[in-house]
Amino acid sequence: MERLLFAGIDEPGLDTLEVYERRGGYQALRRALQMTPEAVLHELEESELRGRGGAGFQMAKKASFLPKGSMDKYLCCNADESEPGAFKDRELMQKNPHQLIEGVVIAAWSAGINRAFIYIRGEYVLQADILDAAVAEAERAGYLGERILGSEHTLSLVVHRGAGAYICGEETALLDSLEGKRGNPRLKPPFPANQGLYQGPTLINNVETLSAVPHILAMGGADYARLGVANSTGTKVVSVSGHVQRPGNYEIELGIPSREIIYGLAGGPPEGRAIKCWFPGGSSAPVLTAEDLDLAYDFDSMAKAGSMLGSGSIIVIDDSTPIIDVALKVAKFYRHESCGKCTPCREGTNWTVTMLERIDAGLATPMDLDIMASVQDHIIGHCLCVLGDSMAMPIGSMIAKFRDEFEAHMEAARHSSPLGTAPPDTAPALIQGAV
Amino acid sequence: MPRPRPRPIRFSIDGREVEAAENLMLVDAAKHGDVEIPVFCYEPKLGHPVGACRMCLVEIEGIPKLQTACSTPVKDGMVVHTQTDRVREAQEAVVEFLLINHPLDCPVCDKGGECPLQDVTFGWGPGRSRFIEPKRHFVKPLELSPVIAIDRERCILCYRCVRFSQEVAEDYQLVLLERGAHSYVSTFDGHPYVGPFTGNIIELCPVGALTSRPYRFRARPWDIEGAASVCTLCPSQCNVELTVRDERVMRVLSRQNDEVDDGWLCDKGRFAYQAVHVDQRVTAPLLREGGELREVSWERALDHAVGALARAGARTGALAGEGTTNEEAFLLGRLLREALGSPHVDSRAAAALPAGLHRALCHPRRQATVPDLEFAHAVLVLDCEPVDDAPIIDLRIRKGVRRHGLRLAVATSRPSSLDANAALSVRFSPGAGGAFVAALAAALTGADSEELAERAGADAGSVSALAELLRAAEDEEDGRREVVIVWGERLAHGALADQTIGDLVALADALEVHQAPGAGLLELPVHANGRGMREAGLVPDAGPGLAELGPGQAGRASAQIAAGLAEGDLVALYLLHVDPLRALPDRPAWERALAGAATVIAHAPLLTDGLREHADVVFPAEAYPEKEGTVVHPDGRLQRLRPGIAHPGEVRDGWRVLAELARRLGTDLGVASAGEASAQLFAAVSFYSGLTLEQIGGRGLRWPEREQAATEFGEREAPPAPTRDRAPEHQPPTLAGAAANGALHLDSYRSLWSAPEVQASPSLAFLHPQQRAEIAPADAQRLGVRDGQRVTVCAPTNGQPAAGQEGAGAREVQATVALRHALTPGVVLLQDGLERDSANALGDPGSAVEVRPE
Ligand SMILES: Cc1cc2nc3c(=O)[nH]c(=O)nc-3n(C[C@H](O)[C@H](O)[C@H](O)COP(=O)(O)O)c2cc1C
Ligand code: SF4
Ligand code: SF4
Ligand code: FES
Repeated sequence: MERLLFAGIDEPGLDTLEVYERRGGYQALRRALQMTPEAVLHELEESELRGRGGAGFQMAKKASFLPKGSMDKYLCCNADESEPGAFKDRELMQKNPHQLIEGVVIAAWSAGINRAFIYIRGEYVLQADILDAAVAEAERAGYLGERILGSEHTLSLVVHRGAGAYICGEETALLDSLEGKRGNPRLKPPFPANQGLYQGPTLINNVETLSAVPHILAMGGADYARLGVANSTGTKVVSVSGHVQRPGNYEIELGIPSREIIYGLAGGPPEGRAIKCWFPGGSSAPVLTAEDLDLAYDFDSMAKAGSMLGSGSIIVIDDSTPIIDVALKVAKFYRHESCGKCTPCREGTNWTVTMLERIDAGLATPMDLDIMASVQDHIIGHCLCVLGDSMAMPIGSMIAKFRDEFEAHMEAARHSSPLGTAPPDTAPALIQGAV
Repeated sequence: MPRPRPRPIRFSIDGREVEAAENLMLVDAAKHGDVEIPVFCYEPKLGHPVGACRMCLVEIEGIPKLQTACSTPVKDGMVVHTQTDRVREAQEAVVEFLLINHPLDCPVCDKGGECPLQDVTFGWGPGRSRFIEPKRHFVKPLELSPVIAIDRERCILCYRCVRFSQEVAEDYQLVLLERGAHSYVSTFDGHPYVGPFTGNIIELCPVGALTSRPYRFRARPWDIEGAASVCTLCPSQCNVELTVRDERVMRVLSRQNDEVDDGWLCDKGRFAYQAVHVDQRVTAPLLREGGELREVSWERALDHAVGALARAGARTGALAGEGTTNEEAFLLGRLLREALGSPHVDSRAAAALPAGLHRALCHPRRQATVPDLEFAHAVLVLDCEPVDDAPIIDLRIRKGVRRHGLRLAVATSRPSSLDANAALSVRFSPGAGGAFVAALAAALTGADSEELAERAGADAGSVSALAELLRAAEDEEDGRREVVIVWGERLAHGALADQTIGDLVALADALEVHQAPGAGLLELPVHANGRGMREAGLVPDAGPGLAELGPGQAGRASAQIAAGLAEGDLVALYLLHVDPLRALPDRPAWERALAGAATVIAHAPLLTDGLREHADVVFPAEAYPEKEGTVVHPDGRLQRLRPGIAHPGEVRDGWRVLAELARRLGTDLGVASAGEASAQLFAAVSFYSGLTLEQIGGRGLRWPEREQAATEFGEREAPPAPTRDRAPEHQPPTLAGAAANGALHLDSYRSLWSAPEVQASPSLAFLHPQQRAEIAPADAQRLGVRDGQRVTVCAPTNGQPAAGQEGAGAREVQATVALRHALTPGVVLLQDGLERDSANALGDPGSAVEVRPE
């Protein structure tokens, strides 16, 4: 399988300019600077590269939305990677920071941008230090700064460390946080491409998206597009975690069977266990089951199966884990990370957790499952950003696919609960209480 | 900035074809089709929508997800549904979410009965709850400030209060702390939320999370009535609705009038109603007997006053201030001029101006309006501090800068709270406003401004830069230039007042304000109805309608009235809503005047020092919620005061007392009702002629927009600029003659909170200021004083002991040092308008003073 972003990833010293350049680094930038910005953008268009941060929006299309003109424009690399199950950006930045920097410089050139930021999650201290060192090296070598490599292109790049909030990975919350405000999502429109950082046009891309850019320029957009499958071109770094024998990051060509990733690369679940469910795109993706293992791993196939590729983080859950534990873990994460700005997410995540706790404690009835499912429906599509959906979609999928297990769990738990085996209809009196 | 010109479009809502202005938010556009979309966080006064509460979700054909109607601009041909099952389910879901952590303690909540959350729940909620988990708990209620209680359990986190603090008042105090379901509203540092505008968040809050502490548990919505009036505690003249229960004002709410106040009130306007109902209110006539003011019958008080006035006759002077209505001012003028034969009337704190200059200033073509502040290309704030002088004007300027890209320039002697929003701030020496205007006018007309700038103590380069900024404030598209100059009455002080105002008019004309409808001058008078009193003729050099007086009919201005009383030329002083010791410059002169006057007659709702010590007769006067009459906003808008409550005790209408005095003095003024007083006024002021109270109505009416005004002042040609025949005589600021070492230039201002009504309102009293001596750190070091230290500030003594100069009126005040980095070195900034230790004890701005440790 062809490796691009991960080519030589474990080579010692790849994070230094010397090794990176020896392996052909910054040649793509030289090439790009010989071309007009329009021509560079054209290559990116040809590649059909889709964003690797979660939403899967075509990168070149987003860049082309930025207005032309001489106003201040910004590029923000989203390195907030905080979704449970995602750890690909960490390895990309830690081991090959110059690949990202080169991608940033090229992308900025294609969109007429002069100021760039890498917004990195606060916990990635090592990676931020490595990036800082790499930026300094790149500046010294003339890959950043005024008139890069003698061209018309000028770019400043600042590595900005977040303070540890998942919501700051949402692009508009990221911008507010970068501006020094509380990291809350903004209403869209206006979209960042029109009014982003400091109200200026802003291009926001994920670390992996930008790291792919030098390769597209090196091999040509059309050749890049030949990798992968239609509508999911190129390669993807997949973080595989959970109950697999060889967890880790694997670069694959999009469109290979999911089974090949989970079993072939990651070794499948431990001996004697079977897969109960798996998240194909991080903890915010609706879960799939063992029946879905033969689906092609690409954007469209995952969407068709009712889930999503998201950031490309596969979490495998085997049959040793009760589904209620998975649900609680997921719901608690999103309750903790909800920014609280909009009602359905703030209240819905909190309510879901308390209901799950009650179910776990044996203080619930099957009716509570219906209420919980309806609460998920009331969150989905009603929030200001998609964090609320990110809890509601997987929880909803778990209730739909594992209802029997929830009910069995409830029944078993009730026997050991303070209510004992009291008939479940003691609760309705409370529930019926009118507002 | 160009005002938006809405384009009409058609769209469909719930099957109805409706016309609306393009880009109106759907929530508002829906109203054209009689469709109400519920909202919580949406409040256009707060700026761009935030889309936080999700209450307003609707379905728009062609868009798969439900959209927030509060943030979706309506477009031609849009098809919107608000009654589908999907929408209803979403709305019910949001209400359910909002209520799950709401305490539902409506029976003990002040908001009950006027609560948007109750109304929306009733109209759009699911009707039953499925939530049986424990609710979120906070300690409650807490004091957010002495006037606001916060109940965090009731908060629905709509962001309104926080946005107000961040984006309207720009005090940046309120924030949301924590995250998710734990979020709560707080000040960023946990200190009380105190500022000029905090009370607005009570009205903004859609639930009972923020309630007024003085109003808490005082009434239920079904116990109260609303009465519309106008607040006359400052020249902003905000429109208010008084909440009345049993003839008592229980609270004051905004009665939104975008032409005046944008729906905001300052905390003085909102909370100082408490002073209406305090024990120290004067509710019966007082007469000085045996050195003490004692309550007497009206008959005795009137008798005494009439006797004294009859004796004094033409040797009477009269002053009016604060919220004196136009009618009261007009009748006071008649009482003096007709019944007593005295021309000595004044209502200004600054020097008198000839009638011609008054008319030049209020020429309709030179007059800017409040909304102009928002849409002008540039605003110059000149020798005033809007947040203290007319706070709502401050908010309007901030709005212009924030939302419409207005270029703001500030030219003041002291640091301005608008400096941070200004494209350019220029400082001049205290008291040198006149010289500064001369310099700026010169720079704009291409004359030499350098020397004048130097005399003003201003940087010559900055003066040129300011002139350039104003000149260049043009529309990118059509080249129109709309510049508004907001200036303070105090600019016209001292002997060169005529010249300064002439320069100001010349400055406005050089900027061609008369060519652009949205440009002009806006004066912030010292008194709340300063403009109305002048137009009613209560100035020494002009009659009603600012008409020229006949030869020999001019009277003395206030400073000369003071001198006359001290020297015995005048013997009686009539004070209508003004205590000169507190409100006028040169307190020592007024102390001598009051001591010298044989009789001092005053109308006052509250006693202040000057009256307590010197008044012989005090008539119990109305507070504004009791008044009937009209006032004039600084932009020429006539507004109506209507009594919301009955007169307490033996208080009588001001007009009635004045008419009664005149009658007893043998002159029948011919007024038997408030309406007649207004009618007389409208007939006497040429540019009000033909007006009726009905026309003024609840929203007011700008007389400069009337046709009569255009005819009278001339519509077509540019207004005549007054001639300037004298060369500028401004002297450069100097400390010559002062003991060189400790001497500083005095500068002064009157704080928003320096008002007897603030002092008398129990929950606002904490804001009533104590004297502070603000000085630059370098001066503090030089003088050897520390922040917080008590000092004496006094007129220079040249080595002599300071106290006891010329008998009454020691020229010294006690103050606490406050270091202020932004202050120009060599200046000490003190407050005016205080009951004690006020800066007017020391002299005019610019005079030399010494600061000495106590
Ligand atoms: C709650 C939330 C968290 C997110 N976190 C990240 C993140 O950590 N990294 C990231 O690249 N994108 C994240 N996203 C997606 C971004 O909003 C945005 O779509 C992405 O950065 C765009 O980059 P791309 O087009 O290159 O994928 C998040 C979105 C949401 C709603
Ligand atoms: S969905 Fe959640 S995280 Fe997103 S804006 Fe709403 S409360 Fe904040
Ligand atoms: S206190 Fe009131 S205004 Fe402020 S966020 Fe809460 S509900 Fe909204
Ligand atoms: S009113 Fe529209 S989201 Fe709150």
